[in-house]
Amino acid sequence: MSEEGYMLLQIGPQHPGSGHMRMLVKLDGDVIVDFIPDVGYVHRTVEKIAETKLYIQNIPLLEKPILNDSGNANLAYIIAVEKLLDVEPPPRAQYLRTIMAELSRIASHLYGIGILSILIGSSTGFMWAFGDREIFIHLMQMMSGARITYSYMVPGGVRRDLPDQFREEFRKAARYMRRRYKDYEKIIIKNPVTRARLEGVGVLSREKAIEWGTVGPNLRASGVAYDVRKVEPYAAYEDIDFEIAVREEGDCYARLLVRFQEIMESLKIIEQALEKIPNGKILAEKYEKMIQPRAKKLVEGTGRIKFPAIYVNLKPPKGEVFSRVESGKGEITVYLVSNGSPKPYRLRFVTPSFRNLLTFKNLIPGHRLADFPAIYGSLDYFPPGADR
Amino acid sequence: MILIGNMEEFLRRAAKWLIEKKPIRDVRDWGIHFSLWPVHLTTACCGVEFAAVSDPKYDAERFGVLPFVGPRQTNFILIEGTLTRKMARAARLVYEQMPEPKFVIAMGACAIDGGIFWNSYNIVRAHEILPVEVFIPGCPPRPEAVIQAVMKLQKKIKRGDYYYGVERED
Repeated sequence: MSEEGYMLLQIGPQHPGSGHMRMLVKLDGDVIVDFIPDVGYVHRTVEKIAETKLYIQNIPLLEKPILNDSGNANLAYIIAVEKLLDVEPPPRAQYLRTIMAELSRIASHLYGIGILSILIGSSTGFMWAFGDREIFIHLMQMMSGARITYSYMVPGGVRRDLPDQFREEFRKAARYMRRRYKDYEKIIIKNPVTRARLEGVGVLSREKAIEWGTVGPNLRASGVAYDVRKVEPYAAYEDIDFEIAVREEGDCYARLLVRFQEIMESLKIIEQALEKIPNGKILAEKYEKMIQPRAKKLVEGTGRIKFPAIYVNLKPPKGEVFSRVESGKGEITVYLVSNGSPKPYRLRFVTPSFRNLLTFKNLIPGHRLADFPAIYGSLDYFPPGADR
Repeated sequence: MILIGNMEEFLRRAAKWLIEKKPIRDVRDWGIHFSLWPVHLTTACCGVEFAAVSDPKYDAERFGVLPFVGPRQTNFILIEGTLTRKMARAARLVYEQMPEPKFVIAMGACAIDGGIFWNSYNIVRAHEILPVEVFIPGCPPRPEAVIQAVMKLQKKIKRGDYYYGVERED
């Protein structure tokens, strides 16, 4: 009991519905009066230790905070490094990056949907979403060779070319996912329990979403058609025709629907990218010619890049750059300062979960305790991303 | 000791002695190795892969492993990746609340020796605060590796090769 007569409830970090954080909830009956997220349980000092690592070593490091959407985290950092180095990747690499980023977005959304489902008590939703996520993980594994941490993009290009069976496998996956969407609609989206738990809960108005700096699908579910892919196109998004998924309601249900809509849009984007992808190199000319002659044969034969030795000692000129990409959870921004040494002078890595934390904090008060997991899940909040 | 009259104490000791004897001990270990209940504590980003362990493709429930809510009803803690100082305190508290016998698996390179975060100022090595039975290398380890570690732990328990409780006296 606190002084005012409210009950102070501590949820987490050991709790099925808390994730990697503790939440202090002040309750009046079962209405939440105040909510304090106790973050920092996963603060691993990514920004500080990025200053002690080489530019190439930071690629896997920056994937760790956003592990379930690492393709996009990777892209954000690589765009920043390329701006510093003044390197332009070849068009084929740009398309491959787009494919990777979109597959990563689908996997991230399915992860979010699965977590939201289990938090509102729908085990079927968790099992289905996580089972279908494995398909896209399989596709990304074909492209990069890793399951979760791809490190697919390197300064100046990508590590591997598209495997031969990828188109066929993706066609199968897209057909499966479209068929599956109809099942999702019946069992999860239009399920009366899901609607009762999510509709009209956690309403985030358009004005408040803008005021609190919400990003990603949470912002688009409140009726703001803002997407970095459209506003400031990167990779190959300029040539690709797609729509921004927007809903007007701003409640938990709208956020769920936006995620599903975005999965469908991403499938379209990848199909277009696979159609339009040009032939050619996958590494910038500048680095391509530095590959040793013996390794060159391997690169031509397998489509896998053998790193030229320059990557160990990548020394960008002095300067500061800023890059942003739209990840599955929202906008990732990277601010990179170089002082001419092989290690970054300062790296600021702002993740979508960090920016959605304020929304999360302000959205909860006024709701009932039973609605708390629904709002938490619908925001797709990932504590390692917020704490970094 | 019967003559002194403390029957309850005597029976407690007798039961403890008996349970360590061959046939009963084997039955007990056989029972424990099928019911490993991990506690619901996600310590870092390897939780993404641990969630995939319970998904339909890998389905760890086949081995009797399904995260359960409270530490009082669980006997198995899986350290998923990095332990920050703040999380280490929570992990230790949760571990101390669990009933005996209890087991620890450290998942991921970070839980072994810091992994990619080895020079971070805010991390703790898992083996410094918890008695780890099995380590899983990888960043993050694949779900197959997690399942293999669980099977290794099961074999270890079946062999009786673990420390049963703080009260053991011989």
